[in-house]
Amino acid sequence: MEDKVYTAADLKRRERANRAMFWTMIRGAILRRRSRAIMAVIASLVGAATLFVLVMVCIVVPAQMTEEMRAYGANLVVTSNQTGATENGIQKDMVEHTTEMVRATGFGETHATYRYDTVRVNSASYQMAGINPNEVRSMNKFWDVTGSWPSAENQVLIGTDVAERLSVKIGQSITVGYVEDDAVNTILDTEGTRMQVVGTVSTGGNEDSMLYVTNATLDALTGQNGQSGQNGQSRGADVIEYSSEASGADLDKLVTNINDMKSMNVTAQAVSKISQANASIIAMLTTLFWIISLVIVALTLVGVSTTMTSIVSQRRNEIGLRKALGASNRSIAVEFYVESALYGVAGGLLGVLVGSGVAWVLIRTVFDRETSVNVGLGAACVAVAALIAVVASILPVRKASRIDPAVVLREE
Amino acid sequence: MENEKQSSDVVLHLDHVSKIYGELHALDDLTLSVPRGQWLSIVGSSGSGKTTLMNIIACLDTPSRGSVVLRGVDVSGLRERELADVRKNVIGLVFQKFYLVQHLTALENVMTAQYYHSVVDESQALDALRQVGLEDRAHHLPSQLSGGEQQRVCIARALINCPEILLADEPTGNLDEANEHIVLDLFKRLHEQGTTIIVVTHDSTVASQAQREIMLNHGKLVGEQWNDEAAREEYEALVGSSSLGTFDDPTKSAKDTLSGSEE
Repeated sequence: MEDKVYTAADLKRRERANRAMFWTMIRGAILRRRSRAIMAVIASLVGAATLFVLVMVCIVVPAQMTEEMRAYGANLVVTSNQTGATENGIQKDMVEHTTEMVRATGFGETHATYRYDTVRVNSASYQMAGINPNEVRSMNKFWDVTGSWPSAENQVLIGTDVAERLSVKIGQSITVGYVEDDAVNTILDTEGTRMQVVGTVSTGGNEDSMLYVTNATLDALTGQNGQSGQNGQSRGADVIEYSSEASGADLDKLVTNINDMKSMNVTAQAVSKISQANASIIAMLTTLFWIISLVIVALTLVGVSTTMTSIVSQRRNEIGLRKALGASNRSIAVEFYVESALYGVAGGLLGVLVGSGVAWVLIRTVFDRETSVNVGLGAACVAVAALIAVVASILPVRKASRIDPAVVLREE
Repeated sequence: MENEKQSSDVVLHLDHVSKIYGELHALDDLTLSVPRGQWLSIVGSSGSGKTTLMNIIACLDTPSRGSVVLRGVDVSGLRERELADVRKNVIGLVFQKFYLVQHLTALENVMTAQYYHSVVDESQALDALRQVGLEDRAHHLPSQLSGGEQQRVCIARALINCPEILLADEPTGNLDEANEHIVLDLFKRLHEQGTTIIVVTHDSTVASQAQREIMLNHGKLVGEQWNDEAAREEYEALVGSSSLGTFDDPTKSAKDTLSGSEE
């Protein structure tokens, strides 16, 4: 055969023509052998959809867990040292300063301040806390409050133990007297301020033995309304409780940072029980996610590989024929890998669509949260599905390249 | 010079070729020369070694002993990939069972051979289908074609890359009489155009269309018959006279034949 000299334009045209033929063969194999193609796509679809749902849930659930944990109260408590800057309690500017330090970690937070004083009701002493009801309510969602929170002056929320001992019900009034630190023999005093019981609180903890009023009510009761303390200020909070999204090492670091600031005259302490529980649950979920993901990847590999093996077996004669026509093992492998990758991409795209729907319903109904479209995760799932399909084809394609055309085309 | 002419005119030469599977000699010390442009039929009963011989000529298999020279090149020791290259450049294959890619149209099946050979050219592929009378069926799938039409697509596919040798294994084995005639007419036309044709067949009608028939028995070449005297003279001038007997004595072994000729 004589060798023809080809120009660059000729070579480009040849390449284009052969590329078009390559895609014609792939298209024919996929569209005209639908049943096998559908099986391969379904195998990829199931894998991609399950992976997508799992990852979506694993993104949402730790966030949900963190939020739920935060509702179970503080994981960081800052108390006054009763010296220096906090000798008269933690003043508003110090609360803000401490809060800025907590926020500087990059994690979200909610907080509530408590100022404690001793009061007398029916000749018995109780601890009364001055609070901002909105702050305390948003941080302690697990508090079982019957009635309402104190919102106006001389309204009181009492613990269920206190209510039982005083035999009072919501709507009734009690007389509350302030017991000063240096007071002696005030136990028989009957004077005080009439306060209306607007609600009872039950937590199973110390809160059941406490009385809660607004800061303004406590100021008025303790005679600090419009008055000044030692430094011309009313007494500040005794405790700031933080519910921070930080946990584990991040939380420990925050505690150290606050305690290292000696000039603040406060002491920070992590509520280890909650922060550790939060961290370990999230760690467990993450581990579970990886284990289930690996199982899904393995199952998808098996599913696609089985389908591809079946496709190769069904096309033995065709592969033998192609080899007889001069096809190299490499060209046959490329055709099968591209075909598999397309099954993976198609299955991945459909899987992400199905997975999005399932994840939306699941997260909405089970976890009661909204989800947004996660394009990055969808693209990653499609890429993983295509990769799995190609990897799953390695063995079947090797099998295809070993097919002996003389054997499969033998006509006896 | 004479040797060069001979090698350029002999498109295929098998020299003492054997194919041995354990104790079985599928081909046994077979020597055969096929000049360019000859139409040769290989006949023999089942198990005579026809398919093994065809696979070796088609570079789908290699001999255990001996050499196979195609267009002056010894292909016996080539590796799989090199054999594939020789196959796609020199041989056009036609099978009894057609072997078309079922999910590609007639035109695409012809273009597949172009794709693996060099470059796809749709107009050439259509022209090949036109030559076998199937231009109007070009866009049909094999399942939409009759057996005769499928075999004609196979012939178009085998010819699309202008092979030196058209190698056909029982090309009319699955066809009715009408389609058999169509295929044989095609072969005649190709032969007139100078294509070397080697046909493996059971069918005496098909075999008798060839210029030369050879018979295999238990892997040995046991007989030869010429249907074209001019071709015989041309062959003997090129290669030398044949030492084989005719088909009248199929049981005569090649060894006997050879020893007879030595005398």
